[in-house]
Amino acid sequence: MGRLKQKGKAGAAKAYMTRSAAVKKLQCSLADFRRLCILKGIFPREPRSRKKANKGSTAPTSFYYTKDIGYLAHEPVLNKLREHKAFAKKISRALGRGEWSIAKNLEDSKPTYRLDHIIKERYHTFIDAIRDIDDALCMIFLFASLPSNDRVSPSLIANCSRLAAEWQLYVMHSRSLRKVFLSIKGIYYQAEIMDQDVTWLVPYQFTQKIPSDVDVRVMLTFLELYQTLLGFVFFKLYTDAGLVYPPPLDASRDDAGAGIGAFSVHTVEKNIHISKSDNVGKTASTREVRQAIKTITADQSFVDEDVDIGSRDFAAKPSEVDEEFVVHPSGGEDAIPSLPTLQSLSETRKSTPTSLFSPYTFFLSRETSRTVFEFLLKSFGGRVGWPTSSGSGSPITESDDSITHVIVDRPVINKANESAEEKERRRKRKYVQPQWVVDCINAGKILVEDLYAQGTTLPPHLSPFGGKPGAYDPTVGLSHSEEVLAEEVPESEDGQSSEQNEVEEGVGGVVETVNVRDVDGAESLRAAELAAEAAGMEYGTFEKEVRKLQRKREKKEKAVDQDEEDMGKMLLSNKKRKLYERMKYGEKRRAAERETLQRRRREIDRKRPGSD
Amino acid sequence: MEEEGDEGEDDEGSSPSGSESDSSSDLHIFPKSNDIISEVTGHPKRVYPEIEPEYDSDSSTEDDPNRVGNIPSHWYDDLPHVGYDINGKRVLRPAKGDELDKFLATVEDPTSWTSAWDKNTQMNKPLSPEELDIIRRLQAGENPDGGYDPYGPTVEWFTGKGKEEVMPLSAAPEPKRRWLPSKWEKQKIMKIVRAIRRGRIVGSKPKTAGDKPQLYDIWNEPPSNQPPPLPAPKPALPTHVDSYNPPEEYLPTDAERKEWENTDLEDRKYDHLPQKYSSLRLVPAYDQFIKQRFNRQLDLYLAPRIQRIRLNIDPHSLIPKLPSVSSLRPFPNYCSLKFTHGNARVRCISTSPDGAWVVSGDDGGNVNLWEVNVGREVRKWCFDGKIGAVEWCPRTDTSYFVVGTYDKLHFIVPPNLPSVILHATQSALAPAALPPATESPIKWSSSPGQEDGVILTILLPAVSGLTKQIAWHRKGDYLATVSNRESQGSVWIHQVSRRHSQAPFKKIKGAVQLVLFHPIKPHFFVATQRYVRLYNLAEQKLIKTLMPGIKWISSMDIHPSGDHVIVGGYDKKLCWFDLELNDKPYKILRYHTRAIRSLHFHPSYPLFASSSDDGTIQIFHGRTYSDLMTDPLIVPLKILRGHDLNDGLGVLQVKWVNKQPWLISAGADGNILVWCS
Repeated sequence: MGRLKQKGKAGAAKAYMTRSAAVKKLQCSLADFRRLCILKGIFPREPRSRKKANKGSTAPTSFYYTKDIGYLAHEPVLNKLREHKAFAKKISRALGRGEWSIAKNLEDSKPTYRLDHIIKERYHTFIDAIRDIDDALCMIFLFASLPSNDRVSPSLIANCSRLAAEWQLYVMHSRSLRKVFLSIKGIYYQAEIMDQDVTWLVPYQFTQKIPSDVDVRVMLTFLELYQTLLGFVFFKLYTDAGLVYPPPLDASRDDAGAGIGAFSVHTVEKNIHISKSDNVGKTASTREVRQAIKTITADQSFVDEDVDIGSRDFAAKPSEVDEEFVVHPSGGEDAIPSLPTLQSLSETRKSTPTSLFSPYTFFLSRETSRTVFEFLLKSFGGRVGWPTSSGSGSPITESDDSITHVIVDRPVINKANESAEEKERRRKRKYVQPQWVVDCINAGKILVEDLYAQGTTLPPHLSPFGGKPGAYDPTVGLSHSEEVLAEEVPESEDGQSSEQNEVEEGVGGVVETVNVRDVDGAESLRAAELAAEAAGMEYGTFEKEVRKLQRKREKKEKAVDQDEEDMGKMLLSNKKRKLYERMKYGEKRRAAERETLQRRRREIDRKRPGSD
Repeated sequence: MEEEGDEGEDDEGSSPSGSESDSSSDLHIFPKSNDIISEVTGHPKRVYPEIEPEYDSDSSTEDDPNRVGNIPSHWYDDLPHVGYDINGKRVLRPAKGDELDKFLATVEDPTSWTSAWDKNTQMNKPLSPEELDIIRRLQAGENPDGGYDPYGPTVEWFTGKGKEEVMPLSAAPEPKRRWLPSKWEKQKIMKIVRAIRRGRIVGSKPKTAGDKPQLYDIWNEPPSNQPPPLPAPKPALPTHVDSYNPPEEYLPTDAERKEWENTDLEDRKYDHLPQKYSSLRLVPAYDQFIKQRFNRQLDLYLAPRIQRIRLNIDPHSLIPKLPSVSSLRPFPNYCSLKFTHGNARVRCISTSPDGAWVVSGDDGGNVNLWEVNVGREVRKWCFDGKIGAVEWCPRTDTSYFVVGTYDKLHFIVPPNLPSVILHATQSALAPAALPPATESPIKWSSSPGQEDGVILTILLPAVSGLTKQIAWHRKGDYLATVSNRESQGSVWIHQVSRRHSQAPFKKIKGAVQLVLFHPIKPHFFVATQRYVRLYNLAEQKLIKTLMPGIKWISSMDIHPSGDHVIVGGYDKKLCWFDLELNDKPYKILRYHTRAIRSLHFHPSYPLFASSSDDGTIQIFHGRTYSDLMTDPLIVPLKILRGHDLNDGLGVLQVKWVNKQPWLISAGADGNILVWCS
């Protein structure tokens, strides 16, 4: 006989640990535990049987893997947190006693922790990290737009806005933006980076207030992790693209409200300088950079300044140039046509959609958001200008002749005293609403501007991410409803497909109308038609009859199918039957949703021509 | 010493200025001070006027009429006077007003609130402005002296230039340690120096370098061989509903809006209502933005994650591929005729071996014999109490059926039989020479001459109750009966040829529900409430126990081949057993919504039927194969509906018609339906 098995010594009882047990084991406070879990990405697990995992108790607790907690116990950050606890005690004691110099010494030797190893642990490869930066980007962009307060320090916000600008800069530079969606919540962007779709949400530019029911500590812990993660990711992205990271910031221009412009020009200039001075480096990137210069920087004076700054920076960092040289030794402009690299190939493949706006010059009127549309237009190669009220650094003024489009978001006002020049300008340029830019990007082509002209009612703005499969598609609905209107057939419920079916299978229906059951094919239809004509029936009514019969027959067939299905359902096992029923339920619900939307569409369409 | 002398002079010099302030001194309690510049030190100083001990003192200046001095005033409490004046005359007690006067004084006299009780004169006296000033200052926490200046310049009496003390305080000689460097301090310092040299003590790093995290290519080194953690699920991408300018059909109606507002936050399908803005500039800030990001983070670190495989299949693919129903004809699919028993529940029916006759019994005690083809009643018998079971003898050379009532079995010969068969039947049931009687509690009594056709009656033991089932052996000589009184003697096996009855079981576990003879082998099935036991009658032992997993078995039938058994239960389940295969069911079907009442295999066609309390009859195609490898094929064919429910009871029994794919069903509504193909 084997040894007696004791309860709670193996299986789920050992594999799982309640949260309070974990906190007890780690000997840290709940807040520290929470912080560790966030940083290490450890989350509770659902045991198959809560009773078995919790020594027979079914009390509501969260469970963690015992192994996860074991890993946490060896975490260096945990030690640092303990040190910090001791430090906090010491410093409060020193402050309480008024020992200022000791307090200052303590403050200088304050324990800090680094998250590098955690980043490496959580994201084994760079691709893993790219795949998971969605949330990080959302948070960074949110905090970049928050006002500072006693809990959210200004330096944190500054760092977030710097990271946000660096990301936008990279996306603009690599031309990797793919989709944009103006939603109620904010603006969704989707970029394709290393074949991974990165989606992030940026709130509209309003002052956000942190609600009272939100735990800021949790958000700040996440933000801490995200800042580090994004730092490393951007470093790698920039260095892989042959750019210097961090891109130097021109403080004076930043103060003047240049936004991304405070960074962007520098980055591009520096890169060009590096490649020029060495006469090596990626040719594709050189070309890309030149293009970027053309589009992004138009002001010659700026360029001149920046060359100097760039050269200084370059001199200060010779090691990176060496790296560049080592990585791309076969560069040189002569080698391009003979040796197309993978990157150049991918560049050519991408070129069509990403240079969408390159032939055009845009001017943003002052009520459009400059940061958003500058980013959008430049990501697709457009030249952009803006009035000084939206910030400095605009390469063109409003009177520039090269402007082809003006992005304007206000109703039309007829100005009485317009000079001839202004009239001429107004005639030459196209005045479009901001949605045009986004719809063009999503469509991948330049759309007709008339639909989006200033003051017109905009066509609906659809999500480029599409709906769920099988959901109602408004684009399809439009064409269908048009057909319906053209035919003026008051169809009650059938869709397009059923109509087609009718045309195809109409033969069978007619067979019944004339009681010729044995005959099939087109002949019977014709015979039926002739018979109907002979009986003095009009063609329209005949058609209607045919359809009615057709529908009846379909209904009957459907009922038969339903019966057979019900029969088949009997033989399913309980589990499968439940699955089947769930699926059917979902299908039915989706169909009902689609149906209501289609019905509403039809109602709207019916009303519209009546009003015209 | 010198300074003191100075001070003395100073005081004297200031005396004339002090007298100047004397004129206004009667207003003040304290004599008014005077700030002058000292002639000696050159600093400003405050001088108080001299106080003459006789006339200038507090008490001497007041002309207090009462001269008794500082004695307790209550000594004069009983006297009309309060003391004596300077001349020795009594000072009379002042008139003391009543409470009303006091009150009026507080109202009328504006100075009453600034007056205080004077003990000496025994009356309220108004306070002087100086006294009020002192009170005010004390209240404010200030120095009571009005002239005191807290911010006066410091006067250095003993320090400062020219006031150093020259002479030493003690005459002890200067110790050595005052000028020699300390050895111990040096040792201590050298210890630190050595530690620094050896690198044991490291100075704190400059603050600026460690301020910002160093960035480097973290993914340069190969990753660890641990499996990477699962990435967190991404939030759903926005759909057209989220657009700032959605198509109009997405906009909610008023009803939808109200419904959305009334549902709880977590039950809402969308976290916001779709809204349409005519231009981008009008779109407001989204007030739930931070809240939603926070919720996402809570999900990331607080929500347990389960990896689920999303089945992206057509639900129809789950349904097994079955042969087409139409290819499995014939089977009954319509109701051809209806035979009615009135209101009584028809519990039992049986069809004759030639398939032409049906006998049915109801709860009212009526047994009807009628024709299948036309539904014409031929004969009717009435018994006392309910009819529990009716069963035709399977023999084809004779023709009779058995009716089970309370404690009795009646053997009945139908009318209008051909004479050959009638004769054979009579000789089988009531032979001229009776076989020798055996010892048994059961009595066989024959009554051959009777008009109503009841030719033989078996009297079961008196307490056995209603006979609820009669099962014939294939050859028609043996029949088993089950009575519903669930005592030990509920099962009997009767042998017609020997007129002998025996109880096969002395003791049986559980209440017997049903029994069945195996069609080929000498086996006997006994269904108790939960299990089906298979006994070998020849060897008299248990062969196997089938475990259907049903809580209460209601019905059972065996396939004509003898290898398959179906068992139905009151808990809606039907179990198909392959006797060769296992004790556990090969297939469990749950399709009836109420209890299964009856099951029957067709004797020749591959059909079986089940009836239930939900009022439906389900026809199945049940084909078995002789090779052991192929599983039996079960195909549901048709649901027959036609019976009404009565007190929660539906179709109580179904029976197939021999040699025809027809079904007869008896319902609790008193109707018997014949279903034809």
